[in-house]
Amino acid sequence: MTRLRLLDSRTAPLSGQAYFADGDPGPIVAALAQVPELLGPTAAFLSAALGPGAASTRHKEIAILRTSWLQGCRYCTEAHSVVALDSGLTAEEVRALRADEPLAAGFTDPAERSLIEWIDTMARSGPVPSHLWASTRAFWPEHLLVELSVTIGATIFLNRFATCFELPSAPAVVERLAAEGWS
Amino acid sequence: MSATSTTDGTIAQAVASGELPGRVWLYSNYNCNLACSYCLTESSPHSERRMLTPELMRTVATEAAALGFSDLGVTGGEPFLLPWLTETVAEMSRSLPVVVNTNGTLFGGDRLDRVAVLAESQVALQISLDSHLPEVNDAARGEDNFRKVIEAVPRLVEFGVEVRIATTTSGPLDDVALDPLRELVASLGVTADHHVVRPIVRRGRADDLGIGLQAGARDIPSELTITADGAFWGSFAPTVQNDVLDIDLLLTRTVLPLSIPAGVLLALLRADPSGPGSSLGIRCA
Repeated sequence: MTRLRLLDSRTAPLSGQAYFADGDPGPIVAALAQVPELLGPTAAFLSAALGPGAASTRHKEIAILRTSWLQGCRYCTEAHSVVALDSGLTAEEVRALRADEPLAAGFTDPAERSLIEWIDTMARSGPVPSHLWASTRAFWPEHLLVELSVTIGATIFLNRFATCFELPSAPAVVERLAAEGWS
Repeated sequence: MSATSTTDGTIAQAVASGELPGRVWLYSNYNCNLACSYCLTESSPHSERRMLTPELMRTVATEAAALGFSDLGVTGGEPFLLPWLTETVAEMSRSLPVVVNTNGTLFGGDRLDRVAVLAESQVALQISLDSHLPEVNDAARGEDNFRKVIEAVPRLVEFGVEVRIATTTSGPLDDVALDPLRELVASLGVTADHHVVRPIVRRGRADDLGIGLQAGARDIPSELTITADGAFWGSFAPTVQNDVLDIDLLLTRTVLPLSIPAGVLLALLRADPSGPGSSLGIRCA
């Protein structure tokens, strides 16, 4: 149950109607629609930051799910556990990103381990020590670090937004998580 | 929806061509001393006030004139519950002509004298009166409403204040049953061209009662409307039902600079080339 009034196709403003044309756009859009001048630019930014780019879907989902778990965002962690599974991450990897298992149990590739260390540092505090910059750059070109860091930053914004308004997980997400053994 | 550029004469051209209605409405407040049965905004003495400040109203007037709008409207709630309303609309009228929607029941004693100064300004008062029969009028609008209105109107006319009458009806707009009311209005000193007859719109309290016309955006005059909650498609748009503001016809939460909501409205109008096509006769003034 959210504490916010979530709009639907009947109650959403004229200028936001396009986002409801194909059905329920989810609680983030349904909340943003209360301020229509923010809806378009924010949705476009989030789509660019979280959607397809030069970085692979796998690495973006690693960034989103790990960040959401570190931020303690129930809504985003639940939603992106499902998205991560659908994107090809294994259940072990998802459990590792959610700290249900040791990170080493899910991730052995040194490039991905360095990315996760980058995510952990950025999502927890922000300043990146020189040694981490050097070790991460050994695996990742600058433009991918820029892209993935925007993904992490956009996720932190969504984490705070979803948490403060207590946005509800979709029933399908809850059912899927239950089926996977995550309640 | 991006705003069209509006600081280059675009709004003025759109108003001049009829593409964009020339009037800008301001919801000065939502509370009212009455609680009419069909009220779009569920206004009553207990309503949240949600007031525009006089400073914002003056700024809207100034910017509306600069952008090329042609006139202003002030509505509520009952605007004259605000003690500074008379002076504010008089000031606004130095920018553009103003019509103020009022129930006309607050013009007794000192208040009448204060409102009389509006005779020297470009301000018209549009007073609601729904029937020539006191019992019919008062059943919808409140006890003793009829008497107060028919006493106030001639006195305002005598002072030289421009008075219009607005009749809201659930029947046909050309119903002969309204003829006695038209005669009454004329006898009060208000000419026929200053008597607006419009249908009840099924929003707000009217929707609770299941009365009035179902109206979509294109049935409602797309007159830019400024409220404490943002800018809306028209004065019939920022309605309230079950204490919740309807935002289906919200344009933007940003009201100043006025070029922003004006641009959003114009962009929406241009996005739908079918244009105004309603024959429902819905109008606020």
